[in-house]
Amino acid sequence: MAQNPAPAVAGGKVKKQKRSQFSGMSKALVRRETISAYMFLLPSLIFFVGFVVIPMIMCLVYSFLDMGLDVGSAKFIGLSNYVEMFNDPVFRKGLLNTVIIVVVAVPSVTAFSLWVSSAIYQMKAVTRSFFRCVFYLPVVTGTVAVTVVWKWMFNTYNGLINQVFGSTHNWLGDPSTALACIIMILFTTSIGQPIVLYVAALGNVDQSLVEAAQVDGATKLQVFWKIKWPQIMPTTLYILVITTINSFQCFALIQLLTRGGPNHATDTIMYYIFDMAYNVHRFGYANAMGVILAIIIAIFSAIQFKVAKTDNG
Amino acid sequence: MNMKKPLALLLAAGLSLGLAACGNGSQGSTETPAAGGNTPSGDQTAITIWTYPIGKFGDKESVDALIAKFNEVHPEISVTLETLDYQNGDTQVTGAITAGTTPDIIMEGPERLVTNWGAAGKMVDLSDLWTDEVKADIAATSESVVSACQLDGKYYEYPLCMTTHCMAINYEMFEKAGALQYIDEETRTWTTEDFQAAMQALKDSGAAPVNGIVYCGGTGGDQGTRALVNNLYSGTYTNAEHTEYTANSPENVEALTLLQTMVNDGLLTSDASFVASDELQQFANGTAAMTFCWNASNKAQYASQVAFTPFAMAFPSDDGTPELCGGIWGFGIFDNGDQARIDAAKEFIKFVCDGDQAVESVQMTGFFPVRASLGNVYAGTEQEADAEEFLKLMPYLGDYYNVTGGWTEQRTLWFNMLQQVFSGTDPQTAADDFVSQANANIK
Repeated sequence: MAQNPAPAVAGGKVKKQKRSQFSGMSKALVRRETISAYMFLLPSLIFFVGFVVIPMIMCLVYSFLDMGLDVGSAKFIGLSNYVEMFNDPVFRKGLLNTVIIVVVAVPSVTAFSLWVSSAIYQMKAVTRSFFRCVFYLPVVTGTVAVTVVWKWMFNTYNGLINQVFGSTHNWLGDPSTALACIIMILFTTSIGQPIVLYVAALGNVDQSLVEAAQVDGATKLQVFWKIKWPQIMPTTLYILVITTINSFQCFALIQLLTRGGPNHATDTIMYYIFDMAYNVHRFGYANAMGVILAIIIAIFSAIQFKVAKTDNG
Repeated sequence: MNMKKPLALLLAAGLSLGLAACGNGSQGSTETPAAGGNTPSGDQTAITIWTYPIGKFGDKESVDALIAKFNEVHPEISVTLETLDYQNGDTQVTGAITAGTTPDIIMEGPERLVTNWGAAGKMVDLSDLWTDEVKADIAATSESVVSACQLDGKYYEYPLCMTTHCMAINYEMFEKAGALQYIDEETRTWTTEDFQAAMQALKDSGAAPVNGIVYCGGTGGDQGTRALVNNLYSGTYTNAEHTEYTANSPENVEALTLLQTMVNDGLLTSDASFVASDELQQFANGTAAMTFCWNASNKAQYASQVAFTPFAMAFPSDDGTPELCGGIWGFGIFDNGDQARIDAAKEFIKFVCDGDQAVESVQMTGFFPVRASLGNVYAGTEQEADAEEFLKLMPYLGDYYNVTGGWTEQRTLWFNMLQQVFSGTDPQTAADDFVSQANANIK
């Protein structure tokens, strides 16, 4: 793999370097190369602008409107949606549930994935592939299919779990267990990708450093923390960010299993956004919550970048 | 300055914001059907129809056969069908409205076509289809059908059929439990006291794994739980003018308290994670001894799954005289601004609802005609026996209050209230909260 230029180069030197890169080329050639580069970028840029930037702007604008099904009669109401949001007990409950999901799911998914990957990455290729397939299966199967199976398993009257335990507990209908069930299913559907990524990252750890540390008498724990952990940090950071975003946006599970119930016990911001937009037709309010959710995700991501102390974004 | 971190943060924020603005999450389970904005080819006008699963109108093959018949008369109009389900249908339609890709025709009831989409100015006024003759014919069956299809003098729905929503019991389970003595098999009625005695008999006999499940999830099938609550002590859901929700009346609170007690005593169960279809499935499986969400269409849908006799019943009431929720189904046209398509859509509706085709169209639904002139459309057909069962319940048709403002919003609130009651909240408090929130949505 090609190495990046040393990042410690001072700004002035970088500019000088860049100038020297183009010094042998005519202006016309530089222009042509630049245009070509932009042409290659254009398809993804159009997609990014059309499906990310424009909806972002629309979301922000709509959040200041009182807008129902009749878009034509939308009214500008300033920050009223935001004020209402923070006085809305359902939103606050949704926010709390969302934070609980993130705080429980993200560390457990990351730690479990790292543990499984550490156990399997040095196995024979066939065995390693087998385990990667097993853990990746729920990701390939799709959330809806997996959720339907879980719904049957949790069924009070003839579900597998109650049959096994000989109980009649209403797992998804009891406020004390519903959110835990959601987190558990989210966990099973979230570990596949991190395991595959960690197996690849651990396989790329520089073995010469590991061997040198072992020769110097380092323990297994020291080898892991001092040699492997720093090298897989970029992967960890990526896993933390995507798992956090997926946990914040947990929607399909709730839509298919509990619809936010019982008594808002499994309401999340994401589901409440959907509920407000598609069941209650308050699009302005839903968009305001979308803005807040985006800000919260950005803050969490920033904290993760900070904690990870790395520039490998 | 290193731009990677800010860019990554922007991307993370963008992904979630974009998702919110687009409406559906990347993990969303619904998909909006193809847009209705078809372009005519040659002299043909192309229109699209979306149907909810109203009897065989949810079956693509049956509706395609109907369209083929229509094309024999109107070869200049091509019709494309999309079928919806009650779990995701509303989301799909709302998505289409916001995206401007609504179909030309949609088939459903006045609570959606009139109160929801009509009130939002999305539907075409069908007053020209409502001739005096049509009005008189429909009014002869029920005046409330005529009033339900209009809002502020504009008709947004052209109705085809109607029925009463009821409940059903597993006849064999009731027989085994000795609970048939508590129902009037001839009139299909029972009192609240009888209902309690029947539930006790079922529990004592152990004839049923579960007596009945009060489903508290989703937004569909709400008519079942509403009718259960309203009938137990003859409460009302709205006032007579349909301008205010009254579900916190002393009668309704008494009914909610009774249900809460019955659940606590194990005579009924409540399930916040169950939607109506989950409850129906448990009934069809033979797990639950009764369902609160029954009608001819559901009977037909689950016919192949049941290994017992599903016996349609009115909801129990204190005086033995139930008031059942009505269901009206018909057609509306989304205003897509294209007069040629609107005219073509009207031709299709007239073909389906008027003239020689009308009887067969009603038979497809499994319900009863809104037009008195059609008489008994099931006489002499294979469906006659089934229809007879539900025809017995038609005299109990109550007020069609589904046209009250804020109807869509109150459905979610209703289930939230039931969840609260069965989580231990005081029924009066829960009902008061429901009414105050539901009334706040009336515009």
